[in-house]
Amino acid sequence: MKHSKKHLDFEVNLIPFIDLLSVSICFLLITAVWLNVGSMNVKQAVGGQAQEDTKKSPLVWIRMNDKGDLDLEVQQSSLVPSALRKFRIPQVDKKVNFEGLEKALASLKQSEPALNTGLIQPHGLTAYEEIIDVMDRLKKNGMTDLGVSPL
Amino acid sequence: MISDGILKTSVLTGTLEGHSIISPRGAKLKRQVAADLILTALIDAFSILVIFLLMNFSSTGEILMIGKNQELPKARLAETLERNPVIKVDEGKIFVEDKIVDAKSITSELLEIRKKYQELHPNEAFPGVATIQADRRVKYDFLNQIILGMNQAGYSDIKFAVVLK
Repeated sequence: MKHSKKHLDFEVNLIPFIDLLSVSICFLLITAVWLNVGSMNVKQAVGGQAQEDTKKSPLVWIRMNDKGDLDLEVQQSSLVPSALRKFRIPQVDKKVNFEGLEKALASLKQSEPALNTGLIQPHGLTAYEEIIDVMDRLKKNGMTDLGVSPL
Repeated sequence: MISDGILKTSVLTGTLEGHSIISPRGAKLKRQVAADLILTALIDAFSILVIFLLMNFSSTGEILMIGKNQELPKARLAETLERNPVIKVDEGKIFVEDKIVDAKSITSELLEIRKKYQELHPNEAFPGVATIQADRRVKYDFLNQIILGMNQAGYSDIKFAVVLK
């Protein structure tokens, strides 16, 4: 019997594969966006909507003053205790006390689980990033319907 | 050492011969010029890189052109950015889709965009969505004129562009 001299192991040509991977890496590196941009969605009331049409649900107003104090007021809710209906979160080192706000919002949400609306009334001198921070805190506590009041 | 026996035929004519750097044939110890690279590790690294880059691939950044001096505010719980008319605040100027406007003309410019949308989509309700792209240090006094202009033009959904923390 004649022995077959065929090699059982064969080599895969890896060069095209490496080429493909190199091109993919170059493309992905060039087109990569390293900054993750998102959006904070706010709904504004536009004229034409009758007041009777709007559903009366619990809401919290956050009024920001120029010093950094926050005045919170809960409306259209019977479950929130009277001490928490209207109160102030004073500034800390001339900055907004976001930790205090977060705690206050958490306790409000605990006493009124249907509280999903947060309305912000900033001062003219309030920085944009502070408004976004307040929105972020509201969202964190389950208040997803946000609004910003014009001056 | 491997001059006799089965080792001579198996090692010197087998696959190992092709991978050796120093040619074992002959007593002159001739160096081979071409050395084989181990490509498996390279392909592994490339594949991991491609997977990592594909997982981080995001197309949302193309919607906004962020200037050198502009810093968007940061937020943890932001939503995905969609393609909408962009109102940009850059160095004290307001741009609506890259067209410079002022507090008075912003409403008319937004109404123009609304009109174009309704011409293109006659059977659809106008969504009234626009994105505001502003520096984190901008005061609300300045943003207020944009919000008022949007209100007057019937834009009820405002999307504030933020950077995810």
